Amino acid sequence: MSAVIQTYTLTKKFKQEEVIKPLDFSVGKGEICALIGKNGAGKSTIFKMLAGQLTPTTGEIYLFGKSGKEMMQAKKRMGFMIETPVFFPDFTAIQNLEYFRIQRGVAEKKRIYDVLEIVGLANQKKKKFREYSMGMKQRLGIALSLLSSPDCLVLDEPINGLDAEGITEIRRLLIRLNQEKQITILISSHILTELQLLATRFVFIKNGVIVEDVSKQLLDEKSRKQIHLKVDDTAKTAQLLERTYEDIQYKSLPDQVITIQNHIEKAGEINRLLIKNDVLVMEFRLEALNLEGYFLGLVEGGGEK
Amino acid sequence: MINYLKSENYRILHRKSLYLTTAIFFLLITGAAFCLYFFSSVDADFRYGTSSFFYSNVIGMGIQIIIISYLYNSILTGKDIMLTKQAISFGISRSVIFWSKLLVTLGYFLLVCAAGLLLMIGLGQSLFAEDQGVVSNFFIASFNMLPIVLSGFILIHALKMLKIADIYNIIIVAVIYIFFDDVLLLIFRQVNGLNELYTFAPGALLTDNLMHFMNQSVQLDYRYWVTGAVISIIALWIGAGRFTKQDMD
Repeated sequence: MSAVIQTYTLTKKFKQEEVIKPLDFSVGKGEICALIGKNGAGKSTIFKMLAGQLTPTTGEIYLFGKSGKEMMQAKKRMGFMIETPVFFPDFTAIQNLEYFRIQRGVAEKKRIYDVLEIVGLANQKKKKFREYSMGMKQRLGIALSLLSSPDCLVLDEPINGLDAEGITEIRRLLIRLNQEKQITILISSHILTELQLLATRFVFIKNGVIVEDVSKQLLDEKSRKQIHLKVDDTAKTAQLLERTYEDIQYKSLPDQVITIQNHIEKAGEINRLLIKNDVLVMEFRLEALNLEGYFLGLVEGGGEK
Repeated sequence: MINYLKSENYRILHRKSLYLTTAIFFLLITGAAFCLYFFSSVDADFRYGTSSFFYSNVIGMGIQIIIISYLYNSILTGKDIMLTKQAISFGISRSVIFWSKLLVTLGYFLLVCAAGLLLMIGLGQSLFAEDQGVVSNFFIASFNMLPIVLSGFILIHALKMLKIADIYNIIIVAVIYIFFDDVLLLIFRQVNGLNELYTFAPGALLTDNLMHFMNQSVQLDYRYWVTGAVISIIALWIGAGRFTKQDMD
């Protein structure tokens, strides 16, 4: 699979703080790649470096295999929407998109009406931007990213502020664009349930470092089941588990919670082991993880093995 | 660059502020002319109802014109700089953005200034008694002012593009255009060969221009262009250079 986006040892420092540690990352053609991380993890910084809004401290970015000055041409094949979209407040949606249509050399004026139709703003096209709701602003941002018929979309929090119906519409739109036009998508969102329905690959980032990079298939496998325990003594529990099962994979979470990712079939045996050793088990259940649970386990977990 | 220039042109032409500021500018000129005309018609001793006094209001207001150009730049560009992020994301070079915005905004500013100048001459010639050679002197004095005003506009553009806070912009403009002659005089008055350097400062040049205009002795002077060029080149060098490397956060 040829890489649409590729970075080599990309770093970004703000003053002395290195917010992005050497980052080697790629997004292949046709992928819908979700970048997931807490606030301040470095997602927006990565997006902004890809867009050219921030200059990397070190490293290189390749878009469609081009870097440096050649990358400027490659960017014309990309559509970016980074953070809250900014437009001229006193311009209508049509005027705002017309400004960018002229700037981007998009020949057909009809394209403006097409993208407004796609994002569901056709009936609001003569309203001024400042009169738009947050959701409408987001839609206009997506419309702009689609204006020059891109081959790759980079969307930072595109469904922020949208209502449930809007979120579903945008998800369907992105899936349609990906499946029908093979548009590659790099996306971030705090609504992880949506990303789970949309993305084909998940990249988890913590403190500027990629901590996990998994395909949807692998994620589904990994997050299938786990044992959730709430105990009075997590240290003792961890010790017992490690002593009894050499290859055990568990995470110690806040609130005296421990999750065990393997040996699921030995749930009863584990329960017995803890009770026998005077560990008070307050909760014991088998659970299937969704993306949110997986994410929390990955980036918020305390002890881990 | 052509596409970017066209889009900037579209932006400015669709902004109400262009028409509003221009209308206010022309109304002020017309209002001032009619005030002078009114007082000279009701009071025979009123000495200011002359075209040379009317024109001197422009020649003597170099600093105010620079302040107006600051406001003009702010109104026409203002927060729109935030939108340059979108252009950068699309692969438009920062240098194209910097120069295109300057060219289009400056173009409209000069157009409005030229129209204002013609309006003044029209009003001056039709409402007031004609002073000998005052129109040609007005043209010469305005031509002398031009590079200083241009340099002010360019400096303001560079500061705005670098997103420097308004308060610092005002301080920088005030230091260069109002106090710089005093500073140079203070520093170099004891230094042989440099003790006349202050005469090249914008403030000193604008005062000199007004004096010569009032004495009907104004002449084209290369010093205005030297000073204007030096300020413009430094502003563009620093502004364009830093803008291409600046993070757009």
